[in-house]
Amino acid sequence: MNIAVKSPFEEKKANKLQSTRIAGKLVNDYWEMVWRAKDEGKLVCWYEGSAINPFLEAADICWVHGEAYSAMLAARHQEGTAQRVAEERGYMRELCSYARTHLGCAVSNQRLRGDNAAAAPDEDDLTWKLPPPDMIISAYAYCSTGQQWDEMTSRVFGKKIPIFNVSLPWIWGAKPDAGYLRGQEWEETSTYVERQLYDMVKFIEERTGKPYPWDRLHALMADIKRASELRLEAMELCTAQPAPASFFDWVVSIAPINNLPVPGVKQYFETVLAEVRQRVKDGEGAVPEEKYRLFFDGIMNWNKVGWLANKFARWDAAVVAGRYTHMAFWQEPGLIDPEKPVRGMAQNYLICPNNHAAPILIDLIMGLCRKFKVDGMVIHASRTCRAFTNPQFMIADTAHKQLGIPTSMFEGDVTDESFYKDELLNSRVEAMLEAIEHRRMAAAA
Amino acid sequence: MKKHVMGVDFGSTTAKTVILDLQGNIVAHSVAHMGAVSGNGVKQSMAKALEMAGLTQADIGRTVSTGYGRRMLDEADKSYTEITCHARGAVAMVPGARLVIDIGGQDSKVISVDSNGLVSQFAMNDRCAAGTGKFLEVLARAMEIDLEDMGDTALRAKEKLKISSMCATFAETEVISLLAEGHPKTDVLGAVHKAIATRTLGLVGRVGKKGPVVMTGGVAKNPAAVHYIKEELQMPLTLPDNPQIAGALGAALIGLDDYKAENKRLLISGDEDMAHEEQMAADKACIPGCRGVPELATNPHEKQPVKARTSPAPEVAHSH
Repeated sequence: MNIAVKSPFEEKKANKLQSTRIAGKLVNDYWEMVWRAKDEGKLVCWYEGSAINPFLEAADICWVHGEAYSAMLAARHQEGTAQRVAEERGYMRELCSYARTHLGCAVSNQRLRGDNAAAAPDEDDLTWKLPPPDMIISAYAYCSTGQQWDEMTSRVFGKKIPIFNVSLPWIWGAKPDAGYLRGQEWEETSTYVERQLYDMVKFIEERTGKPYPWDRLHALMADIKRASELRLEAMELCTAQPAPASFFDWVVSIAPINNLPVPGVKQYFETVLAEVRQRVKDGEGAVPEEKYRLFFDGIMNWNKVGWLANKFARWDAAVVAGRYTHMAFWQEPGLIDPEKPVRGMAQNYLICPNNHAAPILIDLIMGLCRKFKVDGMVIHASRTCRAFTNPQFMIADTAHKQLGIPTSMFEGDVTDESFYKDELLNSRVEAMLEAIEHRRMAAAA
Repeated sequence: MKKHVMGVDFGSTTAKTVILDLQGNIVAHSVAHMGAVSGNGVKQSMAKALEMAGLTQADIGRTVSTGYGRRMLDEADKSYTEITCHARGAVAMVPGARLVIDIGGQDSKVISVDSNGLVSQFAMNDRCAAGTGKFLEVLARAMEIDLEDMGDTALRAKEKLKISSMCATFAETEVISLLAEGHPKTDVLGAVHKAIATRTLGLVGRVGKKGPVVMTGGVAKNPAAVHYIKEELQMPLTLPDNPQIAGALGAALIGLDDYKAENKRLLISGDEDMAHEEQMAADKACIPGCRGVPELATNPHEKQPVKARTSPAPEVAHSH
């Protein structure tokens, strides 16, 4: 047995879902729409964190999700300029790199469209292209950086942009009746957030000067609910061996479910589900030769999605599930009543994977590990996302004690590539796979 | 079939080579100090070990590499990570060990080993070399003291000073500042070694404290590091004779397992050997049971000649 690949360039690639190419096109179309928004006379809302975009889409407001823009830049390896600009402004490297990248875009935008106007930039440079906001809505679960990020954005635009804050409380889950989606705390917190969302709608009405089109929101949420069900069904099929799709396929599918225009999303996931079903029927896996099944805890390295997918394929490791993909992004569609969606939306915002106390969070993760029959866990400790990283030692410890599986942890980051060290990932994951292999050999002997 | 295997730990600051015979006995070992992952350093280490063993590379049946440079070694047939090799080597040196603390040139690792000697869980330092051999090298330069003398000097510390264990470079700044305040080198070095221990215990916490504990890696030769780690651990700490070669030893042992498995047909046990001898004797005997002394034949009444052999019996390679 030799996990380490003699040549790092050995040709074994991830067998990506073909249908995820459609996601790429949908993402491009969406950003083109955003860049045209001002020319088309639309109001623009900047927001981070929770997926409040259906509220905005229903009101025909152009929505810009900060993380999505930063992730898009990182995926295209164009994040460097924005990050440098933000650092020059004073936003240090230890700050959430989503925030730093997005603030860099905001600063660039102001330089070009406000004071300190510079020469017209290269059209291909996406750093400056975001249309400035007409409003900011801050609805960020758990992460205090998110709320301050919105405040800072408001300051970049001279504190002239109206800003609305939705407070999403932490789910302690400590009361005797508490549990996942149940208990008095759960009900009261849901009501608290629901009430604020109605206030947010009033804020939107004030901005647009029109009554809020509730029917439109109901229709959009009916589609999101269905899209989510399709996505979950497809992810569930990855309990098959070999797994037909990987965590990296689901990462690419985040944009459609999270922040793209709703028309087209349901059809996208119908296509994905059909392809996954066919692969299960054909016995086709997400990696050429599945020998190991892994759970991926942590947020994604957006600079490295394809690269990591291929790396794990070379190790014959199918990354079958992850906290970021399986415990987020409308993951409880059953809570949504399309005719009266606001409470269900509030509840889906509250179950952001960072917003539970450890007992509930870890329990959910262990459940996923059991369901997908994982052999080990890879933990990405994102340098600038403490929210995601905070419980990771406890997750690793519990995985080892409850499930008896080894874990390996590597540091990286969401969009700042400089925090990622390839050889450290290699040696840690290879060591974990060697440990799994040795145990199998010992068991077989 | 060759009679020796080799394990090479191609580390960040030193290269270690171990040569074993087919019974797993160490025939030779060597350590070469070098700069960053250096081809010359590892070749020196391998050449020295071969010379000590009176062998050439052609005599080696299997070479396994480990360490950060493991993929760079052309002579290696296979490579395994340091985690796997250090665990294997440490358990070979200290049978029954359940926790391995390895502090090397640039990384420190804590490995929990199960009752079968297999890696159960591990933790390593993240990116920063604080708490490793490199940390000590940097500070030795700053304090103008030989690396070999640091440990003994640190053991003479009287006052408990504090040094941040978070960054090797800034720790140097702290050391300079403490010396400038007039603190003696002994006390400052005591604080440096305490910082290593604190950093290491953080890793132990992630993996779980379970004895027996063995310490390997170059820093295990530093008596002050061992002292402070033992103090923080509050458990006995076993030091093998040659802690630095644990990785190379583990690599060689894994290589030996692989080599034996692949050449199983050429290797037989003592019982199999005797059974074969018995059969040969029976085949050769002119009368059944005769092993060259007819009076002692098992069945002296059956004095029937056996068909004579026209060619010598094939030689069997077997372990002694």
